[in-house]
Amino acid sequence: MASRLAKSAIGAARLRPTVSRNVAPIANLTVSRSASNVPTEDPKKKAQSILDALPGNSLVSKTATLSAAAGLSIAAISNELYVMNEETVAAFCLLSVFTAAAKYGGPMYREWAEGQVQKHKDILNAARADHTNAVKSRMDNVQELAGVVEVTKQLFAVSKETAQLEAQAYELEQRTALAHEAKQALDSWVRYEGQVKQRQQRELAESVIGKIQKELENPKVLQQILQQSVADVERK
Amino acid sequence: MRHFNFVLSPLDQFEIRDLFSINANLLGNIHLSLTNIGLYLSIGLFLALSYSLLATNNNKIIPNSWSISQESIYATVHSIVINQLNPTKGQLYFPFIYALFIFILVNNLIGLVPYSFASTSHFILTFSMSFTIVLGATFLGFQKHGLKFFSLFVPSGCPLALLPLLVLIEFISYLSRNVSLGLRLAANILSGHMLLSILSGFTYNIMTSGILFFFIGLVPLAFIIAFSGLELAIAFIQAQVFIVLACSYIKDGLDLH
Repeated sequence: MASRLAKSAIGAARLRPTVSRNVAPIANLTVSRSASNVPTEDPKKKAQSILDALPGNSLVSKTATLSAAAGLSIAAISNELYVMNEETVAAFCLLSVFTAAAKYGGPMYREWAEGQVQKHKDILNAARADHTNAVKSRMDNVQELAGVVEVTKQLFAVSKETAQLEAQAYELEQRTALAHEAKQALDSWVRYEGQVKQRQQRELAESVIGKIQKELENPKVLQQILQQSVADVERK
Repeated sequence: MRHFNFVLSPLDQFEIRDLFSINANLLGNIHLSLTNIGLYLSIGLFLALSYSLLATNNNKIIPNSWSISQESIYATVHSIVINQLNPTKGQLYFPFIYALFIFILVNNLIGLVPYSFASTSHFILTFSMSFTIVLGATFLGFQKHGLKFFSLFVPSGCPLALLPLLVLIEFISYLSRNVSLGLRLAANILSGHMLLSILSGFTYNIMTSGILFFFIGLVPLAFIIAFSGLELAIAFIQAQVFIVLACSYIKDGLDLH
């Protein structure tokens, strides 16, 4: 419906160009004004903010402050306690600049300074956290070594036992070596004795054989053996 | 027409007056007095000390806003000293330069407070500082280089024929440092305050001439506010310019060009 109305309006404008020439600039103006981003401040709010800026809790005390300030100013000027002159103008201007600097520069500076302070704090807190972590990790490391005394005692006992066993092994080794040496000496003795006995038996056998052969060379002995043999055979 | 009965001179604010004096036959009857410049220099000293005390933040590690501001002033002056003087040898003069900066800045800012007194607009103060600095730099040059210090007056690669003239010019330029350093500071502060005073008198006379003129007077008032902002900037800039030049004069004494 609205679009139809708009269309018809455009159509009408087309038909009557004199009307459109007058209407269009006004319409544009109103559009641009309503679309502008400049906030139109509510006069009520502005007045309230001025009232809020005055010292005092209630409207009565604010009025009292204002009237007291006005009264004091009038009294000071009329009694020439305060002389209005060109210095007042300079004072007003300088105080305006100082107030503006404090009002606009102050919060900016405070924000920046707080940022810097926060940076310091963050660095210190990070350092503290790092230190805490380092101490904790050190504590954990040390905790693993908590049984070090017992372990050392056990290790000492083991090492003592090892030393004893080593001593025994060495002793046994020495004994074995001695026994081996003695065995070797005895073996050599045995071998020597065996050889001597063998030689003596051989010599004995040789002498017996030689004697027998010598005896056999004697005919009398042969005669006697023969007789003995015959006698044995006859007896059987 | 009451305000035309007395006409204040714009220079009236710079007059040195005795605030308190001892009129007794002491120490050969010398004149012992506290003048307004003495009072305001004492206030400046008190403020500078208070500022430093506030900036310590009870010796806490975490700084407060005062400490941050002092740290940034410290860093600024330090960078000036590093750049103008020597990065290593120049560090020795940093405390002096920093104290000079704070002294000038605090006194410039005190001068901006309404109904107060601008100590740094007095040539006696600024010339005392500038003569002392240039004389000290000269002593430093003689101590470091002996008679070779005079080579400062001989520009390198100048023709022999022009040498006497150039040495004379260099010598005069060296001597004029004494004056120019102090003159620059005092003249800037003096002219700024006089400008404000003259414009204020002008505006006051316009604004008190009638209700219509009161509103017309708002136009020059806006100009005075703008000039007040400029004066605030000049207070910082002149302190910085003074220390930059002091550094460059000390550097001449140290390094001879």
